[in-house]
Amino acid sequence: MVISIDYIAQGFKEAINLLISFDKEIYEIIFLSLFVSTSATIIASLIFIPMGIHLGIKDFKGKKAFSRILYTFMSIPSVVVGLLVAILLSRRGPLGHFDLMYTPKAMIIAQTLLVTPLILGLTYSLGKNRGKEIQKIGITLGAGKFDIIILIIRELKIDLIVNVVTAFSRAISEVGAVMIVGGNIKNRTRVITTAISMMNSMGEYPMAIALGLVLLIISFGINSLIYTYSGED
Amino acid sequence: MKVSISTLKKYYSDKQVLDIDNLCIEKGKITGLIGPNGSGKTTLLRIISGLDSDFTGTIKYDGSLLDEGIYKKMTLVTQKPYLFKRKVYENIEYPLKVRKVNKAVRKKKVEEIMYRFEIQDLRNKKGHLLSGGESQKVSLARALIFEPELLLLDEPTSNIDPVSIKIMEREILNFNRETKGTVLIVTHNIEQAKRLCHRIIRLDCGRVVE
Repeated sequence: MVISIDYIAQGFKEAINLLISFDKEIYEIIFLSLFVSTSATIIASLIFIPMGIHLGIKDFKGKKAFSRILYTFMSIPSVVVGLLVAILLSRRGPLGHFDLMYTPKAMIIAQTLLVTPLILGLTYSLGKNRGKEIQKIGITLGAGKFDIIILIIRELKIDLIVNVVTAFSRAISEVGAVMIVGGNIKNRTRVITTAISMMNSMGEYPMAIALGLVLLIISFGINSLIYTYSGED
Repeated sequence: MKVSISTLKKYYSDKQVLDIDNLCIEKGKITGLIGPNGSGKTTLLRIISGLDSDFTGTIKYDGSLLDEGIYKKMTLVTQKPYLFKRKVYENIEYPLKVRKVNKAVRKKKVEEIMYRFEIQDLRNKKGHLLSGGESQKVSLARALIFEPELLLLDEPTSNIDPVSIKIMEREILNFNRETKGTVLIVTHNIEQAKRLCHRIIRLDCGRVVE
């Protein structure tokens, strides 16, 4: 028992050393993770936040069925998204001629698809529940359709930030999609989660612990951000 | 703006809440709408404002059916107004902003109306953090700033102090006098209706009992 605790403690010590010595490989992995997940979250947010608000406040035929399908897709497994993107981007696939497989671009596409139902679903729900009241005020003050979308986004910005951060958390912590479409290639497509998975199977715990710590720090930073914003509201 | 209502019927589930054969809200006049709770006053206001389109019958605004152009010429102030999570100044400025009014003109008008409503001290406070009475004053100022042709008021002075009521009544009268805007006001206060209105309509069980 003492030996195993020492072993874990040794792993932590080496992990801290790797981080404070600015190990190049570790920091490349961290930056690529942040770049891929941030890009995917920004792309999905820019397109699907306005769309989610619009669909939430609009009454249309089949809205109930649409809600159910959308909420189901919010929990889609990341490996399924990875598989779908791999089929599309593989050489024999319909988008194979773009030669994107095993590149960061493919990883961004996969993560964008992964977080899209989450951003759309959360925003749609917000629009449906709270956006309608704001829409009515906008109408009585003479706002046009576009003005109303902007007004709702501004009024619900704290909730929307929380939604975006939730989507980012899902993106940065998933392993299935980026593993399938990125391939975990050293210095090219290796990100925190795929690296941890690989280091674990190789028994290289210090590096895995170091990356795990970074994921925890990112998670702590995100939660602090949400807490600060919510407190200000 | 003249509002002509004919054969208006409105149901909530199976219950009929409005049944109006003919009603005309005269242009340039202040019309009071009184009646007991549940008589359909607020529902009528929501229908006229376009927020509730689930009814049968016809409503014409200066002879035309409701469209986006008419939306822009009228406004509704509710009993519990929703103010945006931004400064009071920006709340009042909003209707002018969506109408693309020049910034300098906006500033002049907002300053002027804040002075008239005696709410200059609220300028930098966040709208959603105001008290009920303050919200009602700001909400009326926000409605009047773009000089609507039709002003719909749903108990705009409920639960506020007598001094504020006096200011709000003065501004409603001034608005009507200066712009010839039509006003339809729902109130439970018969004395207030007498002070403000050229004509008072009584609703009972969804029917007009003048």
